[in-house]
Amino acid sequence: MYGTSASGLRRQLGSLNLSVRVIADRLVGSDGPYARAFENLILALIVISVLSVILEATTDLPVWAIELLRIGEIVIVAVFSFEYTLRLVAAPRKLAFVFSFYGLVDLVSIAPFFLAGLDARYLRILRVLRVLRVLKLQRRVLETTVAQRTRELAELNHVLIEAQKQLQAELDVARALQLAILPSVFPAKAGCDGAARMIPATTMGGDFYDFIELPDQRIGLVMADVSGKGVPAAFFMAVARTNLRELAIHHLDPSDCLARTNDILCTQNPMDLFVTVFYCIFDPSNGVLCYANGGHNPPFLRRAEGSIEALNGTGGLVLGAIPGVTYPSHTLQLRHADRLVLYTDGVTEAFNAADEAYGTTRLVAEIQAHGDGAAQGLIERICHSVADFAGAAAQSDDITLTVLAWYPPRATVSP
Amino acid sequence: MNTQFESLGRVTFVTPSGRLDFGAAPLFQSELEKALAKTPAGMVIDCAGLDYVSSAGLRVFLLVSRSAARCGIALVICSLKPAVREVFDVSGFSQIIAVCADRAAALEKMPA
Repeated sequence: MYGTSASGLRRQLGSLNLSVRVIADRLVGSDGPYARAFENLILALIVISVLSVILEATTDLPVWAIELLRIGEIVIVAVFSFEYTLRLVAAPRKLAFVFSFYGLVDLVSIAPFFLAGLDARYLRILRVLRVLRVLKLQRRVLETTVAQRTRELAELNHVLIEAQKQLQAELDVARALQLAILPSVFPAKAGCDGAARMIPATTMGGDFYDFIELPDQRIGLVMADVSGKGVPAAFFMAVARTNLRELAIHHLDPSDCLARTNDILCTQNPMDLFVTVFYCIFDPSNGVLCYANGGHNPPFLRRAEGSIEALNGTGGLVLGAIPGVTYPSHTLQLRHADRLVLYTDGVTEAFNAADEAYGTTRLVAEIQAHGDGAAQGLIERICHSVADFAGAAAQSDDITLTVLAWYPPRATVSP
Repeated sequence: MNTQFESLGRVTFVTPSGRLDFGAAPLFQSELEKALAKTPAGMVIDCAGLDYVSSAGLRVFLLVSRSAARCGIALVICSLKPAVREVFDVSGFSQIIAVCADRAAALEKMPA
């Protein structure tokens, strides 16, 4: 009998413990609607209690008011004690809660009442310390402000990310258009093995190459690099490329073509950009190469037996800087299996992590070592070599290469 | 890249050092234009400390030489490192901007 009632009591105590825990979690443990309402109630009582302490200490009150304050004090202490108990129950580490700053403040607000009751006048002054509980108010206001600012920042951030995405998408389209106007294949000409490749830098650049089929069966080859980067360079590249292509069809001498292009670019150049252009016209029927150079790196000629030379005739001014400039014309005779390598300074000025440039020496070595195979193969070799050299360093400039090899039809027939 | 300016008589000496690339070009240009506005007769850009000039850097030299010509100020660059000299020669810039071997030669080209 006795045993049964004892276990029943224990069960009742156990279920009481459980329900206190549930109430504690509802009111002080979580962030639900009950917790918010309870917190508001406590904050209101804090304000009332501090006001009543001040009122009691500073004015001569009638008896009924003193009595009212006494009752109010009992209610307030009861609610504060209830809250303190709930917080203690809800705290995962009880001791840490008791000795935490807010834990001690809460304790000081109720302890005088329990230590001395209503009559301990010297301890009553301790109630003034309840004003410290107002700090809770401040903390609440601070938390609300921080949460609001965080929300505002997150919204602004979202707007910025969306704008950035749209801008990037438009730049990607511009980049794709820029790449799309470059010819993807070399014109089919008997005896010619030509190939080209451009590896764009991360920022929009202004390199371009072109193959132009001329009315007299010859082929115009362009290698060019616009000064600067970004959208202005890309626009100027499109203007330069279009004008050069148009003029090339009507001016069959490279120096004439560059001079005319320069004059036109000088009138269509609001950003004061310029472009270095190497322009050559190759005759596949006899291997004669005519060229003019407007400030571009001289291309390399690899003779079939392996010797390498840079094409002379540098020093012509870049296009777009000053109108009325002339460009000297040069002529070169290609022989069987010779190769011409045109490039932009994105190749020789590719930097590695140690800030060293790839340089012409490495480029010449690659051309020497792998110049025997197909034009496309040589380009791939050079691109690999540059990529290996640069390693993880970011590519700051466009890398552009064109290779032309000549195998005259007659030479393949005759021994 | 950083640039020093020094006024001696009627001539401004400019000594840039480091790499004049796409990133450094806008500041270098505005500093040069400001210095040019205060220069009475001539400007010498001493490039002894300049390690690298990209095409965006060349553009600054082109624009500043135009401004100098407009204001009637003699502009000479001198003491180019071989790699920088090559950039000026290949691009044809050494034909349109006066390039001297050293400061002494540059000073001779300054108006009296």
